Amino acid sequence: MDLTLIFYVAAVGLMLIGSAGIVLSSHLLRIIFGIALLETGANLLLLLATYREGAAAPIWVNGKFPLAMADPVPQALVLTAIVISVGILAVTLSLALRVHRAYGTLDIRDIRQRMEQDIADAAGIDMPGSSEAPLPVYSSAESGS
Amino acid sequence: MRRITSALFLVGLAVLVAAVYQQMNLLVTPLAGDAINASAGQQVGAGNIVTAVVLAFRGFDTLLELTILFTAATVGGLVLGKPRADAPRDPDAGFILQAGADLFFPLLLVVGLYIILHGHLTPGGGFQGGVVLAAAFFIPVLARPGTTLDHHAVSLIEGLAGAAFILIGLLAMLGGEVFLTPLLDKGELGALFSAGTLPLLYLAVGLKVGAELAGLLAQLAATEATD
Amino acid sequence: MSKVVLLIVLPLMTAFLLPVIHRVSPFAGRWMGPAVLLLTSVMGILLWSELGHGALAIEIGGFRPPLGITLYVDQLALLLALAVTVGTLLLWPGGGEDRLRQSTLALLLAGAGSGLALSGDLFNIYVFYELLAVVSYGLIASRGTAAVFAATTRYLIISSFGAALALAGIALVYQATGTLNLAQLAQLAPEKLNNIQGLAAFVLLLVGFGVKAELFPVNAWVAEVYATASGRVSALLAGIISKLALVIIVRLLILVFPQPEAHLVMLVLGILGVVSGELAAWRAQDLRRMLAFSSIGQLGVMFIAFSIPGPAGVFAGLAVALHHMIVKPALFLLAAQWGGSTARLAGAAKVSPLGAGLFVLLALSLIGVPPLPGFWAKLLVLVNLSEQAQPLYYLGAGIILAGAALEANYLFRIASRFYYAQPGQTPPTVHRGGDLATASLLGAGLLASVFVMTPLAAQLQSMALQASDTAHYIEVVNPEALP
Repeated sequence: MDLTLIFYVAAVGLMLIGSAGIVLSSHLLRIIFGIALLETGANLLLLLATYREGAAAPIWVNGKFPLAMADPVPQALVLTAIVISVGILAVTLSLALRVHRAYGTLDIRDIRQRMEQDIADAAGIDMPGSSEAPLPVYSSAESGS
Repeated sequence: MRRITSALFLVGLAVLVAAVYQQMNLLVTPLAGDAINASAGQQVGAGNIVTAVVLAFRGFDTLLELTILFTAATVGGLVLGKPRADAPRDPDAGFILQAGADLFFPLLLVVGLYIILHGHLTPGGGFQGGVVLAAAFFIPVLARPGTTLDHHAVSLIEGLAGAAFILIGLLAMLGGEVFLTPLLDKGELGALFSAGTLPLLYLAVGLKVGAELAGLLAQLAATEATD
Repeated sequence: MSKVVLLIVLPLMTAFLLPVIHRVSPFAGRWMGPAVLLLTSVMGILLWSELGHGALAIEIGGFRPPLGITLYVDQLALLLALAVTVGTLLLWPGGGEDRLRQSTLALLLAGAGSGLALSGDLFNIYVFYELLAVVSYGLIASRGTAAVFAATTRYLIISSFGAALALAGIALVYQATGTLNLAQLAQLAPEKLNNIQGLAAFVLLLVGFGVKAELFPVNAWVAEVYATASGRVSALLAGIISKLALVIIVRLLILVFPQPEAHLVMLVLGILGVVSGELAAWRAQDLRRMLAFSSIGQLGVMFIAFSIPGPAGVFAGLAVALHHMIVKPALFLLAAQWGGSTARLAGAAKVSPLGAGLFVLLALSLIGVPPLPGFWAKLLVLVNLSEQAQPLYYLGAGIILAGAALEANYLFRIASRFYYAQPGQTPPTVHRGGDLATASLLGAGLLASVFVMTPLAAQLQSMALQASDTAHYIEVVNPEALP
């Protein structure tokens, strides 16, 4: 029971640190690290769901299966989840490369401003008046908008 | 303003977590897991029950996982575009890395293929072995940045391996069963040739993953160095 | 009937082989995608008539649930799978520079969408959802402009955040019940998930899957993405994919989290969505952003509708959802060519009379003007809201009415610019034939539905009854009782 508590604290702690990284950082790469931490924490939580102390790996060894076997389902689920996050990480980095090539910066506040400017230019609007996001949390540098 | 709301959100999340943990019943009863452990031996015949779950019981998820990797490679190619032929390249790595890469290549191939082919007996399998294979093909690109991976061959292997996985699943439908029912003789538990079509599926998975990751990494590496 | 799997698997296999096919024959590579989707659409329609009013479960791999993954095919699931397949065919985004990759992504979209609609296993839903996410990143980014890359990056960050939360929710559910099969979860939910752990799991899953459903507060990505992506991609995402995500959440609500607290959470977030969406749309000056915010508002209405407990809520929500599925893509197609400042739309009626007329028709239905279907859908929602005991539902009804008033205001503002203003220096562009034809098709469908309202309503009601019948679901899937 105590060991499980430590693992839970670790999993939730990783998720909280990752979330903090995503929400509070302004550098794109730090946000990507935050996503990676968050996903690691979630994977750990999934493995902990049916954790049994003292259970052996469910593998045929020396002609028999061990008596107390661990749950194979979360292991398969986490395998899938890790591969998914690798794929998405590759896409994220490709996009980050292109954004950096286009805007020359990885600061998300600057990127947001440049993007709004580009959209406004393409639409033929003079001022970024329609850049209201539904939730103020995500609005850019508070330029009186 | 943004930081305050974000901080509040995180505090709320932490409170929620604490409340949940207080109340959680930590005695676990994995219904599905125990049932699978009990029946995997006879039903699937694989010595590694996790492989049985990945390829047989939850083979559908694995097919989708492959598809996600494929999609990620496609999107990466779409986003990055074609590298310019005259783009500035990193210089060749030193003698140690080049010689090491040459020595490593056959070793990595053997280890990767071993892990793939023994996935139904020991920990490992298509994904793990596939990543090792990808490394085998990517390290030479790191050592000599001028060398390009043959992207046509990569997409050929990708496509055919993925289609092979689906075709093996569809073959079951021809016999009147449902998609992805394990076929072929289950053999003796623990032997190399056992568990029916599972080793074949993992071989397809390993080749696909290896080709895909190598291609993805090569594409990312080929993006010209920005000053 | 087990051929339903082909709806998912055939597009996936074709997508894998498309680069190979393209090498052999570029002509085949170009037309293989639409051809396969045509085939699966026809198959889907035949399966629909074969299904009738029944439902069935397909055990993938022949493994009994909960050991294996099951697909659940009822009217609602098959209808959505069909909608994704036919929608992708109609709105085929395979044009542009990198045709091969875009066609691959379109095929994957059809396969993944069908799978998401038909799946009966919680983790399987998660994987399909992630596949849809990656495909949508690619389709959006295929536009190739700097702004669209930035918009896609923001969308990706929010979506990944949500996905990790959803995974944590799945972990909580698995911890409590030990299974991932929706039918068995429905069986175990009353005793094992009717507590704070269950509610926390629901909130995590709601926020995670709600990213695609433009749920408040994870909808910050919507405006920029729909403003920068191509018209067809916006039409597909806003029109069809968002409803798919919404229905998945509703299935979870009905089967696994039937407690009233979960319904209230959805109600509150729906109200906030309507308020924020309609206000932002009212103030928007860019036509596509306006439509994006408006769709946030409409999805908020749907969340409010689905939060009404019982089959009545599902019926009302489905009515609004299906109506929106036809109207929104058409609006986005029209806006793609006109895309830009609403000031530029002056005098559009002279340049493109059909387009302007269509826009007005669609807008009227969106606001809810009789006898168009939008009116009946909203009326259904309001009537059911007023019959609830909880006072929060009355607030929801009031907010929906206020939202409709705002919609009328900003949509008529545009309509009046079409007809009464003189063209400025830059007259609005004429539409591309293909987009206009598809939009007209949808508009014609909308008009035609006015005349078949009663049988349509009866069909929807039977779908809603079937979808909310948890006992029936458990009976059909028949999971193995385990010790």
